[in-house]
Amino acid sequence: MIRNGSLDDRTGVALLNVEREAQMSAALVRCAAGDRRALQMIYDSEAPRMIGVARRILFRQDLAEEAVHDAFVRIWNGARSFDPARGAALGWLYAVVRNRALSIHRNEHRYDSAGEHPEEIAPEDAMARLPEASALRKCLEQIERPRRDVVVLAYVYGMSHGELAGRLKVPLGTVKSWARRSLISLQECMG
Amino acid sequence: MTQLPDDRELDMLAADYVMGLLDSVAEAAADERLETDESFQRAVNNWRKRLGDFDISAPPVTPTAQLWQRIVQSTKADRAAVVPAGMRGATRGATLWHNLRFWRVTGLIGTAAALIFAFIAIGSITTSKHLRRDLVALAQRKPVYVAVLVSDATREVGAVVNAFANGRVELIPLKTIDVPQGRTLQVWTLWDRAVGPKPVGLTGQSRAIDLNLDELPETVANQLFEITLEPEGGSPTGRPTGPILFKGNTAKVL
Repeated sequence: MIRNGSLDDRTGVALLNVEREAQMSAALVRCAAGDRRALQMIYDSEAPRMIGVARRILFRQDLAEEAVHDAFVRIWNGARSFDPARGAALGWLYAVVRNRALSIHRNEHRYDSAGEHPEEIAPEDAMARLPEASALRKCLEQIERPRRDVVVLAYVYGMSHGELAGRLKVPLGTVKSWARRSLISLQECMG
Repeated sequence: MTQLPDDRELDMLAADYVMGLLDSVAEAAADERLETDESFQRAVNNWRKRLGDFDISAPPVTPTAQLWQRIVQSTKADRAAVVPAGMRGATRGATLWHNLRFWRVTGLIGTAAALIFAFIAIGSITTSKHLRRDLVALAQRKPVYVAVLVSDATREVGAVVNAFANGRVELIPLKTIDVPQGRTLQVWTLWDRAVGPKPVGLTGQSRAIDLNLDELPETVANQLFEITLEPEGGSPTGRPTGPILFKGNTAKVL
């Protein structure tokens, strides 16, 4: 990518994300118009990361691919409902992927997955992968564990209130109040 | 934080929705609300933005080769699915180049194919047109250069310009631009400062259009594109006269 030499790395990364966001937004507009090439553009650009997102929820490659397959069918059929004026194309795309992965997780894998792969559920890992400059990371770091873990485990690993209560060995009510307090802190910190 | 309790409840509902923590009944209700309630849409969008870094930083996993084919089948089993398969056959042919037996068989098949083709060609010129269009579509699937046009005033992204290998250049607006009565949006490109900006497209409203760069040299990296507001019918001087709404330079697609 041709870049002005005076840009530092962080600006470069931010610009790259702005560009990726704009590209995906444009591709969704083209999908809505029935342009199949645009769907493949989204696939070429995002599929590996989408499978990464689905795998953290479903653990198995085949199930993760199933979720991404279902997500692309939804993206193709639902592109019209995406409004580029409101922005957040990447947010929309990944929301579809998480939604499909959660649906598979809840329907087919509710009881066994967390039990089968406890070692793969590591909230610290997901935290460590966040970019250093990420506001999400900075704000999460201000919340004490295990209250913070509730957010990471629910969002990244797709755990329900019930699963969280089981893993953290606290009553359901406690999990719900931790989740609420953490989300309020996050919102106040991130604006 | 001086937030009204109602706003807080809306934000918390949006947070639970985005997190995936709602039960199926509440989730279905939220899905429905998202269609119509603008303040809920805003709240959901904000939570997606806040938590989006988790998705962006997920470890990438290479999909198996069949995944894209399956998606193509499921989104509609049409000709677009057949062409890439044919293209793969073409590349496999290269490794069989020295295989005599392959050529003998191919020769026979080729003769038969030529006969069949003669029949098909007479009957359906449209089919070959479709095929050609699909092949072209395949070649131009990915743009070579992309320019993201941004507003200087608001830093908002307004449009994207995609330049494809076959010379096609398209403009895709991402923001609705209010065009006053009697005015029009004009698109310009500047590839040589000595020559100045050249008009390449005109549209009454912000919608996707193909730009006409036929008279210009091939699009290159760092070429400026901009959208200005001009009198109806385009700038009378052949130069931009109105305010620049969005502008940006092309960058090579990785």
